[in-house]
Amino acid sequence: MNDLTQLDEPIEVAQSMREEIRRVSHSTRARRLLISRVMTILCALALAIAAVPLILLLWQLVQRGAPQLTGTFFTKVPATPSLLDPNATGGLSNAIIGSIALNIYAAVMAIPVGVLVGVFLAESTSKFASALRIIAQTMAGAPSILMGLFAFSFVLQDLHVGFSAIAGSFALAVLMLPVIIISTEIAVLNVPNTLREAGLALGAKPHKVSLRIVLPSALTGIVTGSILAISRAIGETAPVLLVIGGGYLNSWQPFNPVSALPLSIYENAKSPWPSQRAQVWGAALVLVAFVFVLSLTARIWASRKQKVNN
Amino acid sequence: MIEESISDLEIHGQVVEEFGSSTTSRTWYHYLLLAACVLFAAVSVGFVGSIFQKSLPTWLHHPATIITGSGWQSPTGPFGGLAMIVGTLETSLIALVIAVLIGLGTSISIVFFLPRRLRNIVATLVELLAAVPSIVYGLWGFLVLAPWMYKSVDPWLNSWPFAHTLFGDPSQQYGPSLLLAAIVLGIMILPTFVAISREVIAVVPQDLIEASLSLGATRWQVIRKVVLPTSRIGLFGAAFLALARATGETVAVALIAGGVAKVQFHLLDPGTSIASWIATEFGEAQGNEISALMALGVLLMLLSFSLSLVSRWLVSRQRKVMAQV
Repeated sequence: MNDLTQLDEPIEVAQSMREEIRRVSHSTRARRLLISRVMTILCALALAIAAVPLILLLWQLVQRGAPQLTGTFFTKVPATPSLLDPNATGGLSNAIIGSIALNIYAAVMAIPVGVLVGVFLAESTSKFASALRIIAQTMAGAPSILMGLFAFSFVLQDLHVGFSAIAGSFALAVLMLPVIIISTEIAVLNVPNTLREAGLALGAKPHKVSLRIVLPSALTGIVTGSILAISRAIGETAPVLLVIGGGYLNSWQPFNPVSALPLSIYENAKSPWPSQRAQVWGAALVLVAFVFVLSLTARIWASRKQKVNN
Repeated sequence: MIEESISDLEIHGQVVEEFGSSTTSRTWYHYLLLAACVLFAAVSVGFVGSIFQKSLPTWLHHPATIITGSGWQSPTGPFGGLAMIVGTLETSLIALVIAVLIGLGTSISIVFFLPRRLRNIVATLVELLAAVPSIVYGLWGFLVLAPWMYKSVDPWLNSWPFAHTLFGDPSQQYGPSLLLAAIVLGIMILPTFVAISREVIAVVPQDLIEASLSLGATRWQVIRKVVLPTSRIGLFGAAFLALARATGETVAVALIAGGVAKVQFHLLDPGTSIASWIATEFGEAQGNEISALMALGVLLMLLSFSLSLVSRWLVSRQRKVMAQV
């Protein structure tokens, strides 16, 4: 931006320019206002067009999903409807347990590694660190089906583990890792330097400062990032589709085939039985509830921390 | 915010350089961090290497077929990937056009036209919608939107005079189609695009907007001449992220695109995409077909990595622009 005091035109020139601008401005005012109004209306229209399908989706999800959420839905394993009993869909307890188990194993694998890598990226300025940062950012945007392919080729083909929860958890852990790394790095970078310097000034060794001062201060950010990573992973179908085997039994065992909520939605949506297609809405509602609760928790947690900081 | 974190990074970098080089940092803690980093590096190398290694037979024996061949004869081959590549491009580009056209207007409305209190609620809602799993969008598209499209929209589109070149479904058996997949993808990436573009537009400095208003510009002129040019690069970044999400989408497309491995330029005909083809074919695949599907995965990986490269470059340019104003 130029410094206005440096303008050295004579006052008369400025005066005539101002007159000219005012004239043009007045003569085009009606047209400009009209265009502005039309474009405002178009923008509002875009908002309305965007809102219709999205609100319809949420509304139909609740309206069709809520009636499905019975005791049977949460406690029984799936049954196959037959002509004699077309409504015998059973429940989806296997998918709910499977989803929870898959994500717990994945979180146990991904969070320690992700947090440590994130801390390293924040504390280091080496070439290795910036290379890892680029890798993490690239992996964060990779299509999730690739994690499924990776788990299939590495866990199933190379390690000879069968279709199992642990293979799906591996795929989900690879999916979570970059998210946890990036959010940990940001959380650690946001810790005020005065805290670090105070620790160093008191004679603490750098690793003590990092462990005792920086990590506790960054904890909220790290937890928030981890919850967001889990909330993303729990809704993913593609990574687990190829490797978990879709078991019909309730199983917490890592080496058994399991099912997952998104997987059972994908499978049952194509079912020829109306009762099973209806039940899918219940599964979708439970899944969205999981995701919303997780991301709202993360959001509230983060905003409370911000208030404390201020 | 961004400048703060950048300057933070620099100051912090100095601190670390001063203290990190001393011998005291060579502790068990330092090695633990390094070990985690090596593990992550190994995982990412394994991620690329393992998929590529499994696709090697296809690249050695039929490198051209997998890119330019059409038709997928399981289980023996040939395995042509052209239909999936074209289908991916068609669906995700149409979805991008839908999402950007509607999303840009939506973001502008949210930032400039909505009352402050409503603005925050809508922004939170948009972010929650962006977190809704894609399978739920796919389910809604499959069970709600698709039947409605078959009944009312598809016949109407097909009745347009030039319809047969663009939409043409000569058999008039309306069903799963590329157009339907593109629309559902568009609805799905819309919250993603709005969530990012809203933030990009909201951080345009108030000084610039007020300066423009004080010169007598109308509201639209301010948006058109000041807000959009200032946030241009960030908006491109948002579009690229949305595009990346659309190209990699698997199960939603698998449910609604029809799963037909044929190069389709008629949008009302069924087609497929790379990711959804991998998902639907993998269950019954054996030997060579697995290798061909892994090769499709390599193509998808290249596509996604190049998109993320471009978007990261755009975001860093936007930061520089914002640092100047």
